[in-house]
Amino acid sequence: MNRFAVIWRKEVVDALRDKRSLMMLAVFVFIYPLIMWASLNNIISKSTKADRETNEVVVIGAAHAPTLMQQLKQQSITVVERDDMDEAAITALLRERKHAAVIRIPETFLAKYQELRPSPIELWSDSAADQRAKLERVQLVLRNYGNSIAQARLLAHGVSPAVLAPVPIQEYDTATSASRSGKFIGAIFGIFFVATFYFCLNLAIDTTAGERERKSLEILLAQPVKPLELIAGKWLAGALICGVGLSLELIVGHFVLTSMPLEEISLSWRLGLPSLLLLIATSIPLCLFASAFEIALAMNSKSFKEAQTAVSFALLLPLIPVIVVPMLDLNTQSWMYAIPVLAEQTLMLELAKGNSVAPLAFATTMGVSLTLALLCVGFASWKLKSERFVLGV
Amino acid sequence: MIKVDNLHKAFGNVQALNGASFSAADGQIVGLLGPNGAGKTTALRVLFGLLARDSGTVSIDGIDPATDPIAARRQMGILTDQVGLYERMTSREHLRYFGELHGMKRSEIDAGTTDVVELLGMTDIIDRRAAGFSQGQRLKVALARALLHKPRNLLLDEPTRGLDVMSTRALRRALHSLRERGCCIIMATHVMQEVTHLCDDVIVIAQGKSVAQGSPQALCAQTGISNLEDAFVSLLGTEEGIAA
Repeated sequence: MNRFAVIWRKEVVDALRDKRSLMMLAVFVFIYPLIMWASLNNIISKSTKADRETNEVVVIGAAHAPTLMQQLKQQSITVVERDDMDEAAITALLRERKHAAVIRIPETFLAKYQELRPSPIELWSDSAADQRAKLERVQLVLRNYGNSIAQARLLAHGVSPAVLAPVPIQEYDTATSASRSGKFIGAIFGIFFVATFYFCLNLAIDTTAGERERKSLEILLAQPVKPLELIAGKWLAGALICGVGLSLELIVGHFVLTSMPLEEISLSWRLGLPSLLLLIATSIPLCLFASAFEIALAMNSKSFKEAQTAVSFALLLPLIPVIVVPMLDLNTQSWMYAIPVLAEQTLMLELAKGNSVAPLAFATTMGVSLTLALLCVGFASWKLKSERFVLGV
Repeated sequence: MIKVDNLHKAFGNVQALNGASFSAADGQIVGLLGPNGAGKTTALRVLFGLLARDSGTVSIDGIDPATDPIAARRQMGILTDQVGLYERMTSREHLRYFGELHGMKRSEIDAGTTDVVELLGMTDIIDRRAAGFSQGQRLKVALARALLHKPRNLLLDEPTRGLDVMSTRALRRALHSLRERGCCIIMATHVMQEVTHLCDDVIVIAQGKSVAQGSPQALCAQTGISNLEDAFVSLLGTEEGIAA
């Protein structure tokens, strides 16, 4: 058997016996899909609840404005009539959060209305309560009520109601449900790809700094094995664990997304199984890069702990594109495919939107990660030969 | 057969090896004696091609480890001063891993394993994982992995440390039988008793230089002192040498 394959097999077997490695794998395979499920579920249940729930407002002095009451009912807002209350009583009532708002119509309302003078209506709400959607509907009804009175009065004076609305705004939302979901799910999947770096973290450290810490590195270096074979075996063992972890995570994520009633929040997950497999295949170079990068970094440390600290700091790097770039709110641009993690995230985003992706984008994504991986492997095996490294074992 | 001539190696300002010359013939056990920091570990690391020498020549069965470290290492069985084992692997798996790294076939590894297990008396630990092994048990596994591929040359750094009396005896028997098979064995040690019992030849090295080489009897005769330990100290030329 090839020597690098001997090392590869030993490291894989060793990692599979390591509870820490397996824990890491299990946690990251399930934790992100779980977080995603929880956050999406939260949004879905909220939006469906808003539809089902009755919108109740308390009205004081309802008898003074019967037309308003009718318009509220037409918008399926339930009116609960009450006697007059003071401010403290209204505050206490709103704090119960059963009602979105309290409308108080003063006794003088009708008299002022008939004299064509401004006739105020009080709208009480608690902005700390999470009732904005309901409150906005009440406000809309109140605004329309005022407008309809103005229109009627203008008409009585022979003026066209069109005067009141010289520039009617017609709103259009061009986001299709698929492109909206692309942005949202793309952001979540960016974090998915960051997990790549955690799958092989333990293996990368254990087979380099760990090997040095348990004093087995010198005897290993003294075997008839070339430094490149040694690094390649460890590197591909890490990449395998990474690949398995990432595939499982994406598959679990895929099933979570397809099983959820995403249409309730006008989102969609348009990734078919072939696209999913394509995405997993495209992510393999990222696994190779993650493993190589961590090995090249961890081999410089004297102990497991030291390596853990160094690598943890370095792992903030892949977070930058994933967090900063979505904040910039850019459109998909070709340079994004040249940055590992961001590239995979962008690809996933485009595929989730149902867009087709140019072959060049796939090639760039894979090529950049693969090149970086090979550079890291080259560096690591060069380092393994250096005298300074040997003296440190 | 190991030959070293006028070996020099410096780390910055520190001259670790400063003209070490010695040879170890096939079928001989050669003791490498020297105070701490004399350059023993550096010399061994140059021999198995981990460190490059500044000047001098090295030959392992005619192979220079600087030009072909892989071929040189195939001829060698190595026990370093640090016994590093993989906690989650059994002794048998250790042997299999290192046997495969030496390019041995599965059947050769199995046969070799049976041999060394018997030679070192490690039946009780062969299928146990290394976590929780005692110092002596760890050393046995390390020795077994050095012997498995039946190397022509053995480089052993303090092979008896941590071994109980029975295991030390087993090791001695093993070394004797390897010598009979024509192995060339170099062992660095601090135990004078081992040297007297085991070694055909002794190399004394101090401050990176080989001070003397000869049989224990010859060294005693050379210094005119009958006790090997006193002869050793006398060869170093200073009392501090051994205490340092």
